[in-house]
Amino acid sequence: MYPPKFGYVIPENLNEALEFLEEHPDAKPLAGGQSLIRQLKLRQIRPSYLVEIRRLPLDYIRKEGNIYKIGALTTHYTLSKSQIPLLNETASKTADPQVRNMGTIGGVVALMHPATDNFAALIAMDAKVKITSRKQERIVDFSSFQKGRFKADLSPGELVTEIQIPTFEGYKFSYQKLAKRIIDHPIVGVGVLVKLSGDTIEDIRIGITGASDVPAVRAKGAEEELLGKRINDEIIEKAANRAMESVNPASDLVASAEYRKKMVKVLTKKAILNALKR
Amino acid sequence: MKVIKPDEKVKITLTINGQKYETEVEPRKLLVHVLRELGFTSVHVGCDDSYCGACTVIMNGKSVKSCTVLAVEADGAEILTVEGLAKNGKLHPIQEAFWENHALQCGFCTPGFIMQTYWLLQEKPNPTEEEIREGISGNICRCTGYQNIVKAVKSAAEKLSQTPYQRQQ
Repeated sequence: MYPPKFGYVIPENLNEALEFLEEHPDAKPLAGGQSLIRQLKLRQIRPSYLVEIRRLPLDYIRKEGNIYKIGALTTHYTLSKSQIPLLNETASKTADPQVRNMGTIGGVVALMHPATDNFAALIAMDAKVKITSRKQERIVDFSSFQKGRFKADLSPGELVTEIQIPTFEGYKFSYQKLAKRIIDHPIVGVGVLVKLSGDTIEDIRIGITGASDVPAVRAKGAEEELLGKRINDEIIEKAANRAMESVNPASDLVASAEYRKKMVKVLTKKAILNALKR
Repeated sequence: MKVIKPDEKVKITLTINGQKYETEVEPRKLLVHVLRELGFTSVHVGCDDSYCGACTVIMNGKSVKSCTVLAVEADGAEILTVEGLAKNGKLHPIQEAFWENHALQCGFCTPGFIMQTYWLLQEKPNPTEEEIREGISGNICRCTGYQNIVKAVKSAAEKLSQTPYQRQQ
């Protein structure tokens, strides 16, 4: 399968890339290409030009105070090796090793696939997305940046340039993924971050991907059930049940809505128990 | 800024198995096709959709699926394929291990598995069985049921730890 014809632009710097993208609304930025090149082959998109951004200096992880700043071109491989809690685990369970070597965090955020492992972490961690265009730079919450399935809050001429997340030091975490094959997009994925003080839950964050009309949701009800309480089996069971309140899954070829909802409960329980064990 | 129009070709340079190659490509041309046309036919087109891993090569030290990399994107890269593994007629320890453990039947997937193993053992010189299975999860074999491939990777790890092999990249 050959991709359709397109032109190719190699900018010297970010400004040149932004300028070209603004002047050519039907051009597409090429980061890792692991989704883009497949979309091209399938003629799902027909851009006039690809703008090669992958060599721009946006591949970095910087810890500034209590914030991690992650360049948009940071690969899943690099994230999987990082010290960033939860996101290192969701990155390590994304696709397969070869795809992780190329695919980038900015790429998945811009694509907004409705079931994306890393999104369970980004939503749980109150991630922010930095979007740059020639005229302005804006920073928005990931929760509002996701507009729907394959829909991100991105206009032509704008580029995702950085992801920012708090460091969550001293948190335990776990990501549980249900998929037919480990390399697939999750049917449902649940990420949990938890901070204990003795055996009391001081903070808990639960992010779910693949089970709603937006790619990721927080399980606020389940969190409420656990916050400030002492750990016991009963409240974990209750929390897992309440996680189902936060989702609104769809049926498709891979799984029915009903199955997805039940799996949200199962995976939430697993993720909480697994995080507490660490 | 370099702009290549849709009907134009662009000159690229690749260093494949230590040797420099220059070629002209359309922007839409995939790395796997360029490699095959230059004679590196160990690099197979399997699913053509980044699932099967038969086109796996090492690009700048990392394993990638060359059906999902544009040739123009790889301009300036160092590429390693199976053709670059054997030295002076002697097979690379990973190739030996695949042979000795009967880790192939039809052989179509083998070059991809060998290159992925090459990368995996660079990352994890002494992998557990679970790490091996995870490490080759991006490659599909329809003959062996994977058992002998896992054995071969384990055996290759032992061979490489016993006789330090000079790596090319």
